[in-house]
Amino acid sequence: MSLTETSTLMAEYITLAHRQFIVAENLSLRLPPGKVTAIVGPNGCGKSTLLNGLARIHALRDGSVLLDGKDIHRLPSKEVARKLALLPQDNTAPEGLTVADLVRFGRQPHQGWMAQWSKEDQQAFDQAIQAADVAELAGRALDTLSGGQRQRAWIAMAVAQQTPLLLLDEPTSALDLGHQIEVFELIRALSGQGKTIAMVVHDLASACRYADHMVAMKNGTIIEEGAPAEIVSPELVQELYGVSCDLIHDPATGSPLLVNVRRNR
Amino acid sequence: MPDKRNALVNTTLLGLLILATIISLATGTVQVSLLDTLRALAGNADPMTDFVINELRLSRVIAGLLSGAALAMAGCLMQTLARNRLATPGIIGIDNAATAFAVASVVGVGLSLAPSAMALAGAAAATAIAFGLAGANGTRGYRFIVAGIGIGAIAGAVTQVMLSRVAIDAANAAYPWTVGSLNARSGQSVLVLGMGLTAGYLVLMSLSRALNTLQFTDAVAIALGTRLKATRIIGLGLAVMLTGLAVSVCGPVGLIALLAPELARALYRPGKVPLTAAALTGASFMLIADLLGRTLFAPLEIPVGIITAIVGSPYLLWILLKPSPRSLT
Amino acid sequence: MLNALSPTSVVASRAFFPPLLAAGFLLLLVVLASLLYGAGPVSARDAMAALMANGTEEAWFVVTELRLPRTIIALVTGLALGLAGALLQSMTRNPLAEPGLLGVSAGSGFAVALAILLGATTATLTTLVAQLGALAGCALVIAATRVQGLGNDPVRLVLAGATLTGLLLALTSMLMLMDQRAADEIRFWITGSVAGKPLSILWATLPSITLALVLIAIAARPLAAMALGEKAAVGLGHHPGRIRFLITFTVALLVGSATALAGPLIFVGLVVPFIARAFSGPDIRKTLWLCVPVGPAVVLGADVVSRLIAAPAEMPLGVITALIGAPVLLAIVRAGRMPSL
Repeated sequence: MSLTETSTLMAEYITLAHRQFIVAENLSLRLPPGKVTAIVGPNGCGKSTLLNGLARIHALRDGSVLLDGKDIHRLPSKEVARKLALLPQDNTAPEGLTVADLVRFGRQPHQGWMAQWSKEDQQAFDQAIQAADVAELAGRALDTLSGGQRQRAWIAMAVAQQTPLLLLDEPTSALDLGHQIEVFELIRALSGQGKTIAMVVHDLASACRYADHMVAMKNGTIIEEGAPAEIVSPELVQELYGVSCDLIHDPATGSPLLVNVRRNR
Repeated sequence: MPDKRNALVNTTLLGLLILATIISLATGTVQVSLLDTLRALAGNADPMTDFVINELRLSRVIAGLLSGAALAMAGCLMQTLARNRLATPGIIGIDNAATAFAVASVVGVGLSLAPSAMALAGAAAATAIAFGLAGANGTRGYRFIVAGIGIGAIAGAVTQVMLSRVAIDAANAAYPWTVGSLNARSGQSVLVLGMGLTAGYLVLMSLSRALNTLQFTDAVAIALGTRLKATRIIGLGLAVMLTGLAVSVCGPVGLIALLAPELARALYRPGKVPLTAAALTGASFMLIADLLGRTLFAPLEIPVGIITAIVGSPYLLWILLKPSPRSLT
Repeated sequence: MLNALSPTSVVASRAFFPPLLAAGFLLLLVVLASLLYGAGPVSARDAMAALMANGTEEAWFVVTELRLPRTIIALVTGLALGLAGALLQSMTRNPLAEPGLLGVSAGSGFAVALAILLGATTATLTTLVAQLGALAGCALVIAATRVQGLGNDPVRLVLAGATLTGLLLALTSMLMLMDQRAADEIRFWITGSVAGKPLSILWATLPSITLALVLIAIAARPLAAMALGEKAAVGLGHHPGRIRFLITFTVALLVGSATALAGPLIFVGLVVPFIARAFSGPDIRKTLWLCVPVGPAVVLGADVVSRLIAAPAEMPLGVITALIGAPVLLAIVRAGRMPSL
């Protein structure tokens, strides 16, 4: 599956708030098309809020998020859902829901008012479960799956939306190492098919390894942005997390690796 | 994607409802055979049978059918909106408030509007208050439900006050509302309920996809293109309307709104909100409960609300007391 | 060490006697109001004169024969329900555990209805039956709190109680439908009210209330220890199982007596300890002491309101307590101090 259409997503001077508490002020960001962008930063820096703001889940206090140049909050929600898919954190599903049921939900944005399941729907469904490698799990209930399998099923749902844009909020947060790799490689594969992807990642090392573009946030502002190899430095790590480290390069991939991470003297 | 299982469930439930309807019509002080009942409905029975079926029993059965369906749909809707299977109109006090207002209308306290209109107003007021008190948590979590218990208690108390303040005749006229009975219905209320139910059902069918996505978190629902606020407001508005109109016909028969969707959900494939199945089940439950109330201790008639409370409460207790907290929310 | 101690000492130094005295004074005012205002063609001024021993004979009769018994019954009812609520909440560690909400009162009411239907008439028998019903209700509640996952989920417990209450009310209604003669008598019992109750019921309940007070005196200290957790209580040499049994029995005695006196009064057992705890802090012994003036003041105050608010007619007392109690319920929930919210 390759996407012919692409979409652009950008934030212009947005302010995000939880009630009175301003989380991020006057932020601007543009997702590079066809790339994987990782948003990193310490706990509470506003990275998840930013992602949710980009995905129109979190209302903006000020500024605008533009999807293909149009204000995302003014576009019909369904139209947005055909261009932008989101995998939120902490997902729950009704008891007994099967993987196939879940993935079928991904076709909703494409279905008309009373329209039935169409041929394209079936095609997209088949492609999605293949892409996410959940074909054998299709008939299983979500609550019987392992964490990694379940996360792949949720990604399959987002893939079934056939959107040029995919946003993921900490897609690997509750997974063990093996399952993390499983999910990150799936994300890379999806990017290889032309999707523009943005993800909030807790772990800086994974972000270095799997992202093309990195957005480093602290206290609601973007302090650095660019390719991981270019921007990740001991100084940046010090500023983000308040720890010292040394930097080497992964002999296999060339991506930056943090070593000897320690508290400041 | 055509869904064979759900279609089969709906058909079966419809068949059972038809059976329950015919048995309800046939049963009473004068026993009519099922065949004669059908004949009477078709309009070619002897005058006596025709009178018994079409004049005496039909309006009651229709009232039961409609109010049962409306309550069950309202319950199913609220459970979905609140993502909590306990958040049904009876438990969160909407029934009691609607009853209080309907009783006010019957005993002539305050505005002299028709019971339907008053019950609607009561249902809307209770819902608004419950939401206001639930605060930032919204309908999630138990705060909403406890707010409802409080509202229900106040509404029940107010109903008692009104009944204690009026002449015995007026109190007797309003009594069926306090326990839930099909005896209090007026033709007008049933007609209004019928129209409201039809309109509500059509709107809900057009919303069914959006409602299905509400079973996930808000973020997922929005990501799938659901207009969350609009769906919530319309859904809640319909739930309030259906409850209010049903209560104006049958009084607070609250547990039907909890039990019928439970059964429907168990039969349905997960992932679909079982509105149709709940409505069919609710209608059957109401007819069967009324039938039991009429026949168990005949000639004494037990109001349908008492029957549903006695049959339904143990089930609700079982849900609440069995040690598996996770499945509750 | 000092840090570890200071929170306790703050609680210990919290002023305890001023609120207790204030509540006692308030109670006196309410008693006075109860004697001065109410049914009968006797104005507050005449009643005052009668109390000062220079009123008319009629006023003397109304005050001593009509209003005084009613006042006493309301006082005892409030005492019993307030203490029962405080005990049940402390034992279940659930701020919403109120005998009325949890179905104990309804169980008591149902037992009374059943007994009347079966032909019981004397005050003694009814009191005993009410207590047996309350005991059954209490046992159910305690059993429910022992169900895993429920004990620490206050709201679920309350919902179960509300359901049980609904069930018992439905059954009671059915009994009333079955027998019209009994229905009137049952209605007299199951409508929460202290109006027109003969003092004979009071005499019938006094022994159990006295016994309950003695039991409270015995159980208060170990109950306070149980607030630290069952293991800690065992470590201090108490027997949680025994204490639980004792408290259950005491609550049943109290609620049964109160129901026999005034019918099922919902929410009193919630409001009274709620007020008391606001001044006493977490120590159950202080809470219980404060409940002694607060409980009677609340019930009698509600009764005075019920007489005045719709005069010359009276509003059922149960309605007033529900109107006071429901907002308190909401306040407790809104405060959000409950573990599972």
